[in-house]
Amino acid sequence: MAERTRAERALEPVGERGEDLGGGASPTSPTGKPPSAPGLRRLTAYGLAFLSILLGWQLASLFFPAYLIPTPTQVFLRLTRELGTRKFLFTIARSFVRLGIGFGIASLLGVVVGLASGVWGPFRRYSRALVSILQSIPPIAWVPLFIILLGFGDRPIILVIIISAFFPMAVSVMNAVEHVEPVHVDVARLMGASRLQLISKVYAPEVLPAIVTGGQVGFGNAWRSLIAAEMVGGVNIGLGWFITIAGEVADMAAVLAGIVVIGLFSAALDSWVLEHLKRRLLKWKYAV
Amino acid sequence: MEIRSLVETAELGRGEEAPSLLLAGANKGKIIVQELFKDFDSLRVLDGIHLEVGEGEFLALVGPSGCGKSTLLRMLAGLMKPSGGRVLIDGEEVRGPSPSRNLVFQEHALYPWRTVSQNVALGLEIFRFPPAEIRRRVKELLALVGLEGFDDYYPHQISGGMRQRAALARVLAVDPDVLFLDEPFGALDAMTRLTLQKELLRLWDHSGKTVVLVTHDVEEALYLADRVAIMSAVPGRIREIIRVKDPRPRDRGSASLVSLKRTVLDLLGLEPKFSQTIPAI
Repeated sequence: MAERTRAERALEPVGERGEDLGGGASPTSPTGKPPSAPGLRRLTAYGLAFLSILLGWQLASLFFPAYLIPTPTQVFLRLTRELGTRKFLFTIARSFVRLGIGFGIASLLGVVVGLASGVWGPFRRYSRALVSILQSIPPIAWVPLFIILLGFGDRPIILVIIISAFFPMAVSVMNAVEHVEPVHVDVARLMGASRLQLISKVYAPEVLPAIVTGGQVGFGNAWRSLIAAEMVGGVNIGLGWFITIAGEVADMAAVLAGIVVIGLFSAALDSWVLEHLKRRLLKWKYAV
Repeated sequence: MEIRSLVETAELGRGEEAPSLLLAGANKGKIIVQELFKDFDSLRVLDGIHLEVGEGEFLALVGPSGCGKSTLLRMLAGLMKPSGGRVLIDGEEVRGPSPSRNLVFQEHALYPWRTVSQNVALGLEIFRFPPAEIRRRVKELLALVGLEGFDDYYPHQISGGMRQRAALARVLAVDPDVLFLDEPFGALDAMTRLTLQKELLRLWDHSGKTVVLVTHDVEEALYLADRVAIMSAVPGRIREIIRVKDPRPRDRGSASLVSLKRTVLDLLGLEPKFSQTIPAI
């Protein structure tokens, strides 16, 4: 049956994602409907993690003066005040626009390159070599070059995001295409499928789980690169910029407010939005 | 020693076969295989295959595993190029897959991401039939193979027997005139296998389709086929072709089938010699 390839597993970060793709019902929940029980457990886990972070933070703030580590309450008050200003909302929105464009382009390119190299042998060997060289460079290292080439602004940041999210997607799809069941391809060939139909009817649906995993890993990369690039990229709007500026004037409440926003958004996007998308796209895997 | 004698018998068998083949060709040869061989690197897996299958005939290929019977079937279907010789279907050389001939695989051939009805619809989608037409035909086909009501199940939710029924329906959807079956019931339990053999006969009867079945189950071959080709291994050759004259539906326990089974097993080298075993008792 549809097992994930080893490469896909390797690509996944350890933790929550690993447990659920294969098995449906959870053995530890004898009561209740199987689909909802893992969701509840996931929610509890997230709640506990959130609480422990708050607790650690609160403890740390007891030992340091407020101008170094403000308490969670102070930061949340500051955050609500910031969220009331247009400037802060624009800054968040701008970061998301950059993320959306960069991640979107990267995913599309990754899927195309992954599929193409899977279907066409010579291109696979070439792109594997290329990927192994380029993947080892941290995306943020490109920033100075891109700024000189493209000027200050959104473009170098988006390019860095593309680079950071492209490789996980391309590698994941490439590996998955190599593991497409040959019989599945033969079945479609026997029906007289064209090359394009082979891709749309066999390869694309069969590697969809890998696209989802590649997307999840790529999204994490994109998000980190976005913040890093905004911090060093010489822009004057965006979440990364907001934290850098606040740090320069030693406004720790603002720094922490920015960090909280980043943490909450990425956790929500990753564990909720992408998770739902995954379940929707891979409906057949979850059918009991 | 043994190997050489085997080869000699094989060549002898082939020599004798040629004239009888011509006689059997009362109905025109739908599939003609000439001098076919196949090498994987330096290993010859199939050697000098001659075969003729008549229009509407049901032929079974039996042989030990590794005799190249699946390879032969893949070449007949156009999924694999022969290293030499050729395959003619309807007088035309096979150079690739074609919708007019199709193959049912042993297992794992259904798409796990498609429901039963979506799987059956695959060929019709590739042919670009209108959606309404596809729905209508899929419904008919599911009824034909006894899968009504299972339209929306995914393959992993149904039994192995039902999966093979669905696989059969998917192939019948595009109405090929030549049907290749590669150990279609090999992974099923014994009882399901018997049921599906019967079903297969029901579907084939009066369809006019030419069928080539690859199996390692001698009884299955004798129960289903008009002729049974017995293969030997390394390199794969056709040793003997046996005609099964019993009218269908056949009685698996009838004296003629049992004796044919003994002959086939003997040819495969699997039947102990009675003259040797009886004195030992």
